[in-house]
Amino acid sequence: MSLLRGLLGMELIGMWERLFLDCQERFALLDSALILDVPLGVISRIEKMGGATSRGENSYGLDITCKDLRNLRFALKQEGHSRRDMFEILTRYAFPLAHSLPIFAFLNEEKFNVDGWTVYNPVEEYRRQGLPNHHWRITFINKCYKLCDTYPALLVVPYRASDEDLRRVATFRSRNRIPVLSWIHPENKTVIVRCSQPLVGMGGKRNKEDERYLDVIRETNRQVNKLTIYDARPNVNAVANKATGGGYESDDVYHNAELFFLDIHNIHVMRESLKKVKDIVYPNVEESHWLSSLESTHWLEHIKLVLTGAIQVADRVSSGKSSVVVHCSDGWDRTAQLTSLAMLMLDSFYRSIEGFEILVQKEWISFGHKFASRIGHGDKNHADADRSPIFLQFIDCVWQMSKQFPTAFEFNERFLITILDHLYSCRFGTFLYNCESAREKQKVTERTVSLWSLINSNKDKFKNPFYTKEINRVLYPVASMRHLELWVNYYIRWNPRIKQQQPNPVEQRYMELLALRDEYIKRLDELQLANSAKLSDPSASPSSPSQMMPHVQTHF
Amino acid sequence: MFSLKPPRPTFRSYLLPPPQTDDKINSEPKIKKLEPVLLPGEIVVNEVNFVRKCIASDTSQYDLWGKLICSNFKISFITDDPMPLQKFHYRNLLLGEHDVPLTCIEQIVTLNDHKRKQKVLGPNQKLKFNPTELIIYCKDFRIVRFRFDESGPESAKKVCLAIAHYSQPTDLQLLFAFEYVGKKYHNSASKANGAPLGAGGGSSQKTPLFETYSDWDREVKRTSASGWRVCSINEGYMISTCLPEYFVVPSSLADQDLKVFSHSFVGRRMPFWCWSHSNGSALVRTALIRDVLQQRKIEQRVYNAITKSHPQRSDVYKSDLDKTLPNIQDIQVAFVKLKQLCVNEPFEETEEKWLSSLENTRWLEYVRAFLKHAVELVYVLESKRLSVVLQEEEGRDLSCIVASLVQVMLDPYFRTITGFQSLIQKEWVMAGYPFLDRCNHLKRSEKEAPVFLLFLDTTWQLLEQCPAAFEFSETYLAVLHDSTRVALFGTFLFNSPHQRVQQSTEFAISKNIQLGDEKGLKFPSVWDWSLQFTPKDRTLFHNPFYIGKSTPCVQNGSVKSFKRTKKSYSSTLRGMPASLKNGIISEQELRPRRNSLILQVKPAPLEPRDSQDWGVEQFFQEWASRPADLHGTILPRLSGAHIKLWKLCYFRWVPEAQIQHGGFITAFHKLSLLADEVDVLSRALRQPRGGPTPAPGPELAPSRLYFHAGGPYDASGTLDFLSSSFPFSPVGNLCRRSISGTPLSKFLSGAKIWLSTETLANED
Repeated sequence: MSLLRGLLGMELIGMWERLFLDCQERFALLDSALILDVPLGVISRIEKMGGATSRGENSYGLDITCKDLRNLRFALKQEGHSRRDMFEILTRYAFPLAHSLPIFAFLNEEKFNVDGWTVYNPVEEYRRQGLPNHHWRITFINKCYKLCDTYPALLVVPYRASDEDLRRVATFRSRNRIPVLSWIHPENKTVIVRCSQPLVGMGGKRNKEDERYLDVIRETNRQVNKLTIYDARPNVNAVANKATGGGYESDDVYHNAELFFLDIHNIHVMRESLKKVKDIVYPNVEESHWLSSLESTHWLEHIKLVLTGAIQVADRVSSGKSSVVVHCSDGWDRTAQLTSLAMLMLDSFYRSIEGFEILVQKEWISFGHKFASRIGHGDKNHADADRSPIFLQFIDCVWQMSKQFPTAFEFNERFLITILDHLYSCRFGTFLYNCESAREKQKVTERTVSLWSLINSNKDKFKNPFYTKEINRVLYPVASMRHLELWVNYYIRWNPRIKQQQPNPVEQRYMELLALRDEYIKRLDELQLANSAKLSDPSASPSSPSQMMPHVQTHF
Repeated sequence: MFSLKPPRPTFRSYLLPPPQTDDKINSEPKIKKLEPVLLPGEIVVNEVNFVRKCIASDTSQYDLWGKLICSNFKISFITDDPMPLQKFHYRNLLLGEHDVPLTCIEQIVTLNDHKRKQKVLGPNQKLKFNPTELIIYCKDFRIVRFRFDESGPESAKKVCLAIAHYSQPTDLQLLFAFEYVGKKYHNSASKANGAPLGAGGGSSQKTPLFETYSDWDREVKRTSASGWRVCSINEGYMISTCLPEYFVVPSSLADQDLKVFSHSFVGRRMPFWCWSHSNGSALVRTALIRDVLQQRKIEQRVYNAITKSHPQRSDVYKSDLDKTLPNIQDIQVAFVKLKQLCVNEPFEETEEKWLSSLENTRWLEYVRAFLKHAVELVYVLESKRLSVVLQEEEGRDLSCIVASLVQVMLDPYFRTITGFQSLIQKEWVMAGYPFLDRCNHLKRSEKEAPVFLLFLDTTWQLLEQCPAAFEFSETYLAVLHDSTRVALFGTFLFNSPHQRVQQSTEFAISKNIQLGDEKGLKFPSVWDWSLQFTPKDRTLFHNPFYIGKSTPCVQNGSVKSFKRTKKSYSSTLRGMPASLKNGIISEQELRPRRNSLILQVKPAPLEPRDSQDWGVEQFFQEWASRPADLHGTILPRLSGAHIKLWKLCYFRWVPEAQIQHGGFITAFHKLSLLADEVDVLSRALRQPRGGPTPAPGPELAPSRLYFHAGGPYDASGTLDFLSSSFPFSPVGNLCRRSISGTPLSKFLSGAKIWLSTETLANED
């Protein structure tokens, strides 16, 4: 709070007793002038600062590091034991896992008039894509998560691959994450397939079933004779993975495949990059060398690489050149980014609110992006090397796309920010746990509320007024540093100096005009009524003005 | 490379009249007599046939065949070939699609790839080889490339030399504008007497030009500037040749005093009034007092007079611009670097270090510096209620930007099209901004600097941040910038109003033009947009986001809920930093929850801070915490993250940077349709409804918007031709891959270099 104290002149010392914990979910400070409301889930680390001998106004208190790029600092008086108590209570509820307490989502009794858990039904989604068909079948081989414990129960695989084939392929893919279909092009029938790296190892192991399996995938589409494999990693990383038993599909063995590396770095690089972003935006925004500081974080460069990779995947599939296999090491971080972004570019359905929810639910949640490890829900180990802002990076890419195509997405910026806020908040069950099998075990859908319940029960708030529904339009964003921007409304929203215009003035203007139009139409109708009442001859009166007005499409 | 070239057309058929058939199957290239469209006074100097204009950088299949002409106004490429890739959505009536005005040419490079020679052409230079290629670098960031593989070598060479010669005239009066106006006078003299062009002409009539006493008088009255008067001592430019004939001074200063004082100021530019705030604080510009001994005394007298003109007798705040802002050389250096980065360097190579390279140009830093300084002065004028004097050595460059920006921020009138134009007349044209030198129309001055562009850029930043506060669009600003390169308009041709009178009188005498009572020739005004654009294209200037004074949205009580007083700024939230509103808490959630305690936090007394910075900061915070008043003051957000590169202006010719079917224009399009529908409805409502009058159709009142409901572009979905470059198109304007592979940067540093054959031998 020292930041706010400095800027707003707030006196916050000695107000610990006034901090309050609400239902173990959030803590808040309320005042007529200031409201601070932080879900406990967002806390990454709590530290005591200063000791009994500390001097100076703000040197004694608590420092709270949050997952959403801010730090909160509370200064308090040294008398009594208020700090110790506060520290203990906060630690206990912010990190329930270490204290054998349930995560808040399991206690949340919120009721919504829509059930978000019903949004995603894999069978329906595959049916929407026209599956199963002659070449692709739906299999329940993973019903009990025996084939692959991090994959969903329901998978789409080539028709010509038997369950036995799948089992053999699984032995050759890291964590048994076999190549399965993510998306099929409605016309040219090329597909996006996702998987993990092959277990080639130092010895250059081969697996005939895996080789044949990829060839079967290639053959589901007759137009081309090569299958394209995108390995999301930089070439050197892929080579290095051989040392730990992984690797990539070499040309000598996979004759009918072309392999490309997409140079996207691993979770550790991304985590460090985001740390640097935080350094330049919080607590103070770097002023004099903003652009070069931003460059030195490499955040936008990583965004660019992810988008460039997704564009390549989308282009390959859309131009009908070939089917595409995407993998990284385990196929749950970069792979999820690439397949979901490519699908967002290719399929306008995913650009609607529900479509996007389905996309997240499918490519991220059901296919085992390790949300629990990457975010560390309720876990006090803030330095865990497994944490990484992979999903945030994906949402950032989506935001970049929505900036370049302001009419293409049904949802607005608030929708994306809300998703990110609840990625950490632990108020909903949506992002809990690492995979479907764990979620099933914990009965997440029965015991928690879905984030989509919140959003879908109040959709208007999350709608982009400029949305123009389109079908079959592929979006190709320009993945150039000239167009990529730091998402100020997200990353710098905590800085009181960076006043954001809320709501967005352009959106607001549109809403005003909509209201004005409705008002005018209403008044014209009233005038019309009055006129026609006056005029006894109805044939002479003009038709309803609102009918004469050229109709403007306003999609809602 | 030349595998796709069509059969060489026969010379015989070229001389024949154009074939009348529309037979597309004919494999022979259709040969027509290609004639340039010429303006009055325009003559063709040289021309060459069978020229290929390069369209794409990696293939020649889209190239166009035609004739290249050099006139005394432009280079013109005339072709019959349709252009499948080029999608322009506006047309300049003075220029063809492929034309470049001579004054827009930055550099001319000729090369011969057989002999491996290239040369940057200056005026009166010899060319020792026959060029096979001509590359024109334009001041507006375009790069145009022509190939002469099939043309007569001698005529190709002649055209290149002609372009070099005519684009670098030795004298102001050799600029085409003189020929054009002279011709107009002659033509009108032979028909009837009287001015041929009117005062600025047609649609510009609304824009006050500030050439007359009454324009200044009206401005004084409009701003209720009591204590100020229009003074006529400079009639006939008797006092200063770089001040307007009429300007506004404190009422308490007598003409006689002013005359005496004037000698002490650089350029005899004594303090003159720009604008008055409704609180009485005035904005004044002045040059430096040269005479050190007299400085104190004169300054005292003048400042006392300004104080006397203030209703509260407030003090005067002096802002020394030379000390606080980058100078014009800095600005020029930044601009050259920016241009280098945006269009000359290879796209991919600049990607990695884009942000730091952009920072290194310092362009955005300067944009920010000017905005920041203007905000500080707005604070002084509005909050401290002091009159502000802008002091600059000559007072003709930085003062123009700062004075204009302050007024754009404070006075909504200057955010309308007419108001903005009058502002440019008042603070730039009449105040003696040296357009001739800064635009470098004569290409030999060391005084080139894009000060005016910098102003347009800073205005764009405001427009970007407060879109609803401006009547004009960013297209308008870009087109206005382009118009400075056409050099047909008196507006942007001279260093001062006096120079116009002097030069054109001289010219008139030499050409035997009777001027009558007129002071100099009347050049066309840029504000007469009908000279350049059709009414339809001019609708592109209108910003559909604009909320005008008359827009019922604000005044209409019945749509109260959409007044600009936002509900979210309810009393409980006032004073809370926007950052928190922006966060997790939604409006409903702000209500105290069950069992919650309402906490009391005592606001600490504000730390007293004396510095101006603190005051400005506070002023800004207060402004930002109020609901936006689009008819009051607008202030820009100044953090590094908020000052942006004006992409439409700088990237519109760069194909790689173009977002196909995307960009802000798609939202603009959508909003235009709605805004137009609202316009139509509001007209229908205002229509008197006594009796069975037919309701007015939209066709009776043309829409103010380019995209309108029921119009040809009222298609659902995103229109194919929309792109981030709209209405411009990069296709065909930039072929950067070669000068046979040499980085173009080498040619644009201004050095006229020869490349050794070794350098070229290494290239493919």
